[in-house]
Amino acid sequence: MIKNYLKIAWLNLLKNKAYSLLNIVGLSVGMGVALLIGLWVFNEYSYDRFLPDTDQLYQVKVNFTSQHTGKHTQDALALPLAEVLKKEYPEIKYVAQSDWNGTHGLIAGNKKLYMDGSTVGPDFLKMFQFPLIKGNAGTVLKDTYSIVLTQSTAKALFGNTDPIGKVVKIDNQTNMKVTGVLKDLPANSSFSFKYLMPFSFTETQEGWGNTSTNWGNNSFQLFAMLQPEVSYEKLAPKIKWIIRDKGAVMRPSKPEVIMQPMKDWHLYSDYKNGVPVGGFIDYVRMFSIIGILVLLIACINFMNLSTARSEKRAREVGVRKAMGSQRSYLIFQFLTESVLIAFFSFVLAVVLVQLALPYFNLLTGDLITIPYNNPVFWLVMISYILLTGLLAGSRPAFYLSSFNPVKVLKGTAQAGKTATLPRKILVVAQFSCSVALIISTVIVYQQIQHAKDRPAGYDTNRLVMADMSDDLNGNYDALKNELMQTGLIENIARASSPVTDIYSHTSVTNWPQKTAGDESINIATIRISDNYFKTVGMPILQGRDFSSSWANDTSNVLVNEAAVARMGLKNQINQEISWNTAVGKVRIIGVVKNALMASPFTPVEPAIFSHANRGNQALYRLTANANTHTAMQKIGKIFDKYNPAYPFVYRFADDAYNQKFNLEVLVGKLAGIFATLAIFISCLGLFGLAAYVAEQRTKEIGIRKVLGASITQVWALLSTDFILLVLISCLIASPMAYYFLHTWLQKYDYRISIGPGVFILSAIAAVIITLFTVSFQAIRAALANPVKSLKNE
Amino acid sequence: MLSLKNISKYHKAGSLKTTILQNINLDVDAGEFVSIMGPSGSGKSTLLNIIGMLDEPSEGYQYFLNEPVHQLKDKQRSALYKANIGFVFQAYHLIDELTVYENIETPLLYHDIKSGERKALVADMLDRFQIVGKKDLFPSQLSGGQQQLVGIARALIVSPKLLLADEPTGNLNSKQGDEIMELFSKLNKEEGMTIIQVTHSEKNAAYGTRIINLLDGTIESSKNI
Repeated sequence: MIKNYLKIAWLNLLKNKAYSLLNIVGLSVGMGVALLIGLWVFNEYSYDRFLPDTDQLYQVKVNFTSQHTGKHTQDALALPLAEVLKKEYPEIKYVAQSDWNGTHGLIAGNKKLYMDGSTVGPDFLKMFQFPLIKGNAGTVLKDTYSIVLTQSTAKALFGNTDPIGKVVKIDNQTNMKVTGVLKDLPANSSFSFKYLMPFSFTETQEGWGNTSTNWGNNSFQLFAMLQPEVSYEKLAPKIKWIIRDKGAVMRPSKPEVIMQPMKDWHLYSDYKNGVPVGGFIDYVRMFSIIGILVLLIACINFMNLSTARSEKRAREVGVRKAMGSQRSYLIFQFLTESVLIAFFSFVLAVVLVQLALPYFNLLTGDLITIPYNNPVFWLVMISYILLTGLLAGSRPAFYLSSFNPVKVLKGTAQAGKTATLPRKILVVAQFSCSVALIISTVIVYQQIQHAKDRPAGYDTNRLVMADMSDDLNGNYDALKNELMQTGLIENIARASSPVTDIYSHTSVTNWPQKTAGDESINIATIRISDNYFKTVGMPILQGRDFSSSWANDTSNVLVNEAAVARMGLKNQINQEISWNTAVGKVRIIGVVKNALMASPFTPVEPAIFSHANRGNQALYRLTANANTHTAMQKIGKIFDKYNPAYPFVYRFADDAYNQKFNLEVLVGKLAGIFATLAIFISCLGLFGLAAYVAEQRTKEIGIRKVLGASITQVWALLSTDFILLVLISCLIASPMAYYFLHTWLQKYDYRISIGPGVFILSAIAAVIITLFTVSFQAIRAALANPVKSLKNE
Repeated sequence: MLSLKNISKYHKAGSLKTTILQNINLDVDAGEFVSIMGPSGSGKSTLLNIIGMLDEPSEGYQYFLNEPVHQLKDKQRSALYKANIGFVFQAYHLIDELTVYENIETPLLYHDIKSGERKALVADMLDRFQIVGKKDLFPSQLSGGQQQLVGIARALIVSPKLLLADEPTGNLNSKQGDEIMELFSKLNKEEGMTIIQVTHSEKNAAYGTRIINLLDGTIESSKNI
């Protein structure tokens, strides 16, 4: 029986080649999109879950409450908490401190690398059981001067020789002995270190002297592993007030200790009012919905084309029923057909996904592959084919099998015509989704453009930024002189952070206009050399810049407009304020225009600029007429001379600035691609439907032509119906899209307001696309000779 | 009114040439009521379609109201046809989705006639054919005779100079057929309407003023009554 069904199905596919092609192409694009998004979603969910005991692994965070910014959650913690958690809570198995994945210079022999690594507490590798190829997780980080390399780092430094016991010089200062080799971290890991060093090494570095007992130095990350069988819910109330109770210095900020399970790190990184409110998961959900919608659109195509073509099949149904076939057999037969088409579409979809994956990975920065060797994948895919086939085939199957054999065989049944309304509803559903996707794409791009159009407050053109080592700081004056002499740069300055980022925050504790109820102000802090504002092109609105003599300006600061506004200062110049990093008061000597150093989507926060005689960023601007490539080569030689232990690494400020939009641009691009595909599939369906309608109305078109209708009039007649459907879709899609995008935009403090223009433009675009698709069939029908269509009585 | 000179029509399928009409010479004057007769496949309908400019002859010269139709461009030909010819079909060919009123109104839409004038013209026509009460019905709700009446009303609403009818009574019973023929005869005699009909029925042909017999694509006889 099933063999017979398959044979009939196959013959039917061959009989209507154009129609089968339309069906299979549409469905395979839909299935491909859903498969691709499925793989991506699976990849996003797989983050960090490959480690053993993930369920018991947590990052410790703290909620601070401030009068100015409300409750906010931060990862940066003070070290005494680690000791308390370790010693006083038996529920916690391990605690590990960590610094922030920082960039260091690594030297071995004549090999120089500059890459990211972390220092971590001794239990780190017992908690996060990244597989070690060499060395023992319990001992590799015991000695302060040891280093664990990942496989590729080891290879880069030592080639194929055994690295164990060899020496790596860190930052041209400290020799570390290689004690272990880790397997390279998978791409779906939240950690991205290329090597690990003991946390005790960080503690030996300057400036961190009393950190292990200072509750006020919130500068490190803490990770914890709970005992098996211990649930965080039970532990949470016990640890909540540790800092408040033990760290008097932090008490005014009302610190609450919380933990976030490792499986949520990647997807739930946004905290609002002290609780996780989402993060990347929003995009995972959004694209899951898009994937399902695109698949649905493809299935609707299949349903519409199949029922529209049903006139052709009606006779077969009649004959089969007359021969005694039960309805259920027919349903089964038609479902077999649709599953067969779904199967062919799936094969094509896999090919499409395989071809698209390299580009997709390039776009998202992921390393997604189709897991051909995974039996679970194939099981899921078989269900996917069956489900798609059944979903797409259900309506045609039930519709076709319902025909009355007597009527069908007599030819009195107007098969196909009765299904017009449901078909119209399905077309409207399809186009509503497609139009909503178009609108979303446009609005995402408008939002990006809106933020890009926001004045940065500094000039990123030809501005170069580079990390500064101790050597460079020591040789700064010589470096500066030599660079200026080349005539390749206009200006150079150094600062504690790149102009496109803010590395540190401090507090302004007192200021002239402060009232009794005012809490201290959390303020972005940048330590800069003289010449900084001139170099980056940040205008000073009032007062003056730092002088070239560092010593003269050590207790002078500049602040930005936002800081002035927050403090409510009048006559800012020469006002004195208390600042928690300076002993005594500091004096405001100038006010700088607000600049977008952090996110371009948030308001500019208060910032303070103090004078420093060292920095970890060099910032210089190339002269306008310099050839970038040769200039950087020459500049690189000078840097190499003063910074022999490090490779010459630099970034252009405009690139760094554009990276702020990476997520939004990615979302925009993906939305655009999927919108295009959705439209494409919808148009395939429309094309098929238009052909069908033109065929069904052949007689009517003939009559109208005989009555004097011109080609344009016939074309308009056939197109109007579709245009109407698409316009209805626009009416449905617009409020839907508005709702979703309005919600999405709430994420951004600096956002566009959605105007009517985008909806009108999207509607116009949809109408044009529809006209284009339908016109081919409509014009063909209009050109047909009416004599032929009216002949067969 | 119209003149056909050496009109031939054939189809070519590969090397096979099927001749449908051969060397037809025919003149029809204004006010004539011509019946074209002949067995199935003799080319009656093709001849009618060529006269009505729905089909093009393969060879020959064709004049309509002194215009050389064979030299006209598509656009000019359809303008000529649109302004002067009305068609009535055996299968009525009403548009199923439109009411009687809308069916009759349709040609006026294609003649760019204003709404007010359209209403008046359709009302006249409904009145004339005594189908005012049926104006809101759909074709499927009418008998065959009534449908054909609507078909004729639709053909006449643009006041054509020539009415072409392809077996107008073919789908009707004899009583309904007689009524339609009476109507044609009345149109011809009282209003001077030129009519060319294709028919199988001797009886219907006798309503006309001239009978042309076709056989295998040629005119076998043409006699005035």
